[in-house]
Amino acid sequence: MSPQISNRGSKPMRWGFLVSVCLLMLFNGDASAFTAYVSNERSNTVSVIDTNKWEVIKTIKVGQRPRGIALTKDQKYVLVAVGDDDTIQMIDTGTNELAGTLPSGPDPELFIEDPDGKRLYVANEDDNTVTIIDIDRRVQIGDIQVGVEPEGMGISPDGKILVNTSETTNMAHFIDTATRKIVKSVLVDPRPRFAAFKQDGSELWVSSEVGGTVSIIDPAKHEVKQKIEFKISGMRPEPIQPVGINITRDGKTGFVALGPANHVAVVDGTTHQVTKYLLVGQRVWHMALTPDERYLMTTNGTSNDLSIIDVATLKVVNTIQVGQQPWGIAISEH
Amino acid sequence: MNFFRLALILSTMIAALPSSARAADRRDPDWPCVQPKVPQMSVAAMWDGPSIADVGNAWQDDPTIKDLVVRLAARRTPVDAAERVISGFITGTDAEKQKKAKMLFAGLFDSLSQQRSEIVSGIERVARKQKELADRIRSDVTALHELEDKSEQDQIKINALADQVEWSTRIFEDRRKTIRYVCEAPTAIEQRVFTLGRAIRKTLD
Repeated sequence: MSPQISNRGSKPMRWGFLVSVCLLMLFNGDASAFTAYVSNERSNTVSVIDTNKWEVIKTIKVGQRPRGIALTKDQKYVLVAVGDDDTIQMIDTGTNELAGTLPSGPDPELFIEDPDGKRLYVANEDDNTVTIIDIDRRVQIGDIQVGVEPEGMGISPDGKILVNTSETTNMAHFIDTATRKIVKSVLVDPRPRFAAFKQDGSELWVSSEVGGTVSIIDPAKHEVKQKIEFKISGMRPEPIQPVGINITRDGKTGFVALGPANHVAVVDGTTHQVTKYLLVGQRVWHMALTPDERYLMTTNGTSNDLSIIDVATLKVVNTIQVGQQPWGIAISEH
Repeated sequence: MNFFRLALILSTMIAALPSSARAADRRDPDWPCVQPKVPQMSVAAMWDGPSIADVGNAWQDDPTIKDLVVRLAARRTPVDAAERVISGFITGTDAEKQKKAKMLFAGLFDSLSQQRSEIVSGIERVARKQKELADRIRSDVTALHELEDKSEQDQIKINALADQVEWSTRIFEDRRKTIRYVCEAPTAIEQRVFTLGRAIRKTLD
């Protein structure tokens, strides 16, 4: 917003105007005004949240069974996989309206964009494939046969290696994106759901929902070098079901969503020790850090809400009601 | 026995049997639900207020609390009404509020935890019955094949056995749908405990 200052105005008036504009900007609330998009699996909607006011500002009706959700690299669109409609819908971030579709292969669940923003890799849950989509041309350009029930998708920071986890065969498949061939499969604990690379590419973290662990994998050696186990005082092991993982850009802190344990584990990125457990809402599966990494937002599928965690103080500071069975979350930079 | 009728029964049965890919929780292969089996609720998953470890059964000795637990635990009490009752009840000094909150949450947790355990046992019982029924259907179909293969077919016996298979398959399919629905009940109970626990916790802030 640039104030139009007339050359013909008197000096005191001009300064007064400038000062009030500056004051307005100073007191215009928090600087971290982003927009979060949440897929509500059961109500077939996407909730749009203003992270300044921590309010739902719009609810967009989408197709059936929305789950995986992400921003395109250019921030122009939110992509949401609507599994029962076998497609990916696009939401224009300028208008927050539906604006076209991308092909996805059958029953898309999770997907990931390559670092260039040119290709989308989609996990087709019932088809045991990863479908490759050219985002600009909006066409399918190939597919890769993977293990049974693919879900988790991770991509190395250089875009050369795609990792896809198979829920039933308990594998993390390392796929060369140039040849589209699986180069290595690493066995992890039962029912892997999510895969995340550190920003520097030095580690891959894979969560095992039924195994109750997160495997730390060396991506160069294709070896599990450590496993994180989670123990919450007074809680039996069965509800501790790790799903989503988010790691800060500096690699120093990781967050793991523990499903029906209703807690998020805070993990030291170097030692891989759990430093804290935070009680959030029910059945916490997926999370996202705001672009300034000040807040972590979690989707709580059974309590139908989001929890907002202040990353500096590691406290839950807010709860926002959204649609039914919130699943995924993506946060845009504006 | 009509070949097409047999084929229809067989294909229905095969379609109705749980797919090995989606069904099982590795830790308990007899658990029929897609949600991994969680045998019991944990207080730690529901409550970050003052510890209720010292309450035990004391909540049952307080008639007011006992009545409230029955009322608030009941599904027919809408959640927002329950929340209003909670905020109306947990009043007084900080010490009084804390005592009431602990007793009330302990009562709700115990009561709904028990209901949940009964449902989990019920699901396991039905899953066992399904397995037995599937085995019976399989052996009946084998017996039907043998009867059909005989040079002199006993049509009365064949028809009777075919009817039995058809009937058993229908029960199997109905029960399968019921199981899918009932599998959501444990989570629904957890949802209620969590929501009411949050409302109780809020009164202490």
